[in-house]
Amino acid sequence: MNTFNGRFYSILIISYYTGFVVLGIALLMVLPILTAVGLQEWNPFWDFIITMAISVILGLLLIIIGKQTRHNKSFVQWKHGFVVASLSWIILMFLCAIPYLLSGHVNSILDACFDVMSGFTTTGMVLTQDLDHISLSLNLWRHMLTFIGGQGMIVLALTFLLKETGGAYIFYVGEAKDIDLVPNVKGTARIIWKISMVYLLIGTAALWIDGMTIGLNPLSAFFNGLFIFASSWSTGGFAPYTQNMMYYHSFSYENLTIIFFILGSLNFGLHYAILSGNKKELLKNIETQSFFITSFLASVLAVMWLARTGVYHDAIAMFRRVVYNVLSAHTTTGFGSVYARQFALEWGDFGILILVIVMLIGGSACSTAGGFKGLRIGIIFNSILADVKRLLASERNVKVFRFHHIKDQILADGLVKASALIIICYLITFAIGTLIGTFYGYPLASAAFEAASITGNVGLSIGITVPGMPAVMKIYYIIAMYLGRLEFLSVFALIGFIIGGIKKCWTK
Amino acid sequence: MLDKIIKALLLTVSLLFCLNGSVLAADVVDLNQLVENAEIMDGQTVTVSGEAIGEAMERGDHAWVNINDGTNAMGIWMPLDDIQSIKVFGDYKHLGDQLQVTGVFNQACVEHGGDVDVHSDSITVVAAGYATAESVPALKIVIGLVLVCLASVLGLIYLKVIKKSDG
Repeated sequence: MNTFNGRFYSILIISYYTGFVVLGIALLMVLPILTAVGLQEWNPFWDFIITMAISVILGLLLIIIGKQTRHNKSFVQWKHGFVVASLSWIILMFLCAIPYLLSGHVNSILDACFDVMSGFTTTGMVLTQDLDHISLSLNLWRHMLTFIGGQGMIVLALTFLLKETGGAYIFYVGEAKDIDLVPNVKGTARIIWKISMVYLLIGTAALWIDGMTIGLNPLSAFFNGLFIFASSWSTGGFAPYTQNMMYYHSFSYENLTIIFFILGSLNFGLHYAILSGNKKELLKNIETQSFFITSFLASVLAVMWLARTGVYHDAIAMFRRVVYNVLSAHTTTGFGSVYARQFALEWGDFGILILVIVMLIGGSACSTAGGFKGLRIGIIFNSILADVKRLLASERNVKVFRFHHIKDQILADGLVKASALIIICYLITFAIGTLIGTFYGYPLASAAFEAASITGNVGLSIGITVPGMPAVMKIYYIIAMYLGRLEFLSVFALIGFIIGGIKKCWTK
Repeated sequence: MLDKIIKALLLTVSLLFCLNGSVLAADVVDLNQLVENAEIMDGQTVTVSGEAIGEAMERGDHAWVNINDGTNAMGIWMPLDDIQSIKVFGDYKHLGDQLQVTGVFNQACVEHGGDVDVHSDSITVVAAGYATAESVPALKIVIGLVLVCLASVLGLIYLKVIKKSDG
């Protein structure tokens, strides 16, 4: 039964679904609350109680405002999905920043929002100070945000909180996770979460055991294993200590993270295909081919370049300090095995350029990774090859070109155009970031490095991202992380919706 | 008279030399300065100071202890015996022991896969760490309780509204 009246029914729909997303995040705060109780961290306990209560109040208010949507679900359109996704991320950024702010570990609300957006987008840049004295419950929250952000929090909230998810695909695409593993979205979302949870158990156990062998005490090894796995799998790059991966001084620990962040950067569809017995997909898939070619080339070039400088004397040092960082950058993880300033002081322009390129390329589509995505690079590369072949072929010979991604697909012009458009959007965001960086006096290479890391949701820093950096840069970086993660369309839809709403009010 | 002046001068110069020497030996370098000047400082004996953080990670007859001096954090590779002198490591509930470490700085340690580290020769605890007292402000608790009450009331309203809407 249609009970919608008036011109602003879209607002009711958006309010209703956004309310559920906010409520979903509020419920997740139970975990840090329980951790705080268990470890008797009373300040964080109250910080999370306050945040959870505010989130519940806001979530319920939004649902009550949009309650008519319950009887008008057929009105939900694509634009609503995009707007809910992009608006929810902004609201959640402010809500999830409250525990950071109350903890006293950030200088301002802007820094808190920066770190939350960095977590949600699986970027991993940090403005939170004195990480070495942060509570375990807040550390859990940081790593939960990045883990949930990587899998898709809108989908998580809507799939598990709503009974009917007939139109949920709309929200799914809005969060840049357009994949259909099984015919219904609820099933697909559950498969994604099932895959992630299985890996979470295996990964945490592996890092826990390895943590104990490298000298961590069992409880600490467990939490470190959990946090580092969450960051690796979600290609986030957060770590519980200031030194990031350098805290552990362990080759085996670094190797485990490489396995998990490469796995995390692969398409969920690929995981599902392999787990369903289709192992050949790993070799045939355009994204894995693209990733292995670019990561191999980048690693070789970086090693060759840094061998000339003579900083690293042997193969193990080269692997741990050069290849590790290249792979971390390429998968958009952002774990660092060198100090941020070492990139500027020791890697040279060529080394920085290699990292900039791989950070922009990023991981796979519909994974936890950021960047252009290997799929788009593969499509563009194949379309160039196809055009060359067309030029060389007879005019009477009409050939259809294909590529393999889960299944054989036709290399249609529309697909190539869509891929090119997204890549152009990324490049513009990167260029503006570099421009702003140089405006504030940073060297071009450093500004480009940081802009690429932010745009590709990587998290490696060359030393620009510090609490004392200009506020304008912090704001732009927040916007760039947000745009990069949602792959532009959802944010453009939100902007269009707001402008359209203003126009409607104006003309009324 | 001249003899006394010469003696006094010699004593002053030797004292100055000794004092100057002791100041140099204890000249503490910031960890960030080591990172910034890694190439120049590589292989040199340095003295660094910082709070022991996290925990000691034992590896055979040595262990890693990470220290943070406020400018940066770095791993110190030290013999196991030296670990015994460190009683408190910094975390949420503790301010760790303040260590003064003299050792060899490595820009890319050959022994540790290119790690930036300090291999210690001597360690001194210059200030003992302690457990930090955690007090929750009363205002925070009051605000928390008020918000929980508000959320509960709204929850009841929500259930009523939704039931009415479905009915």
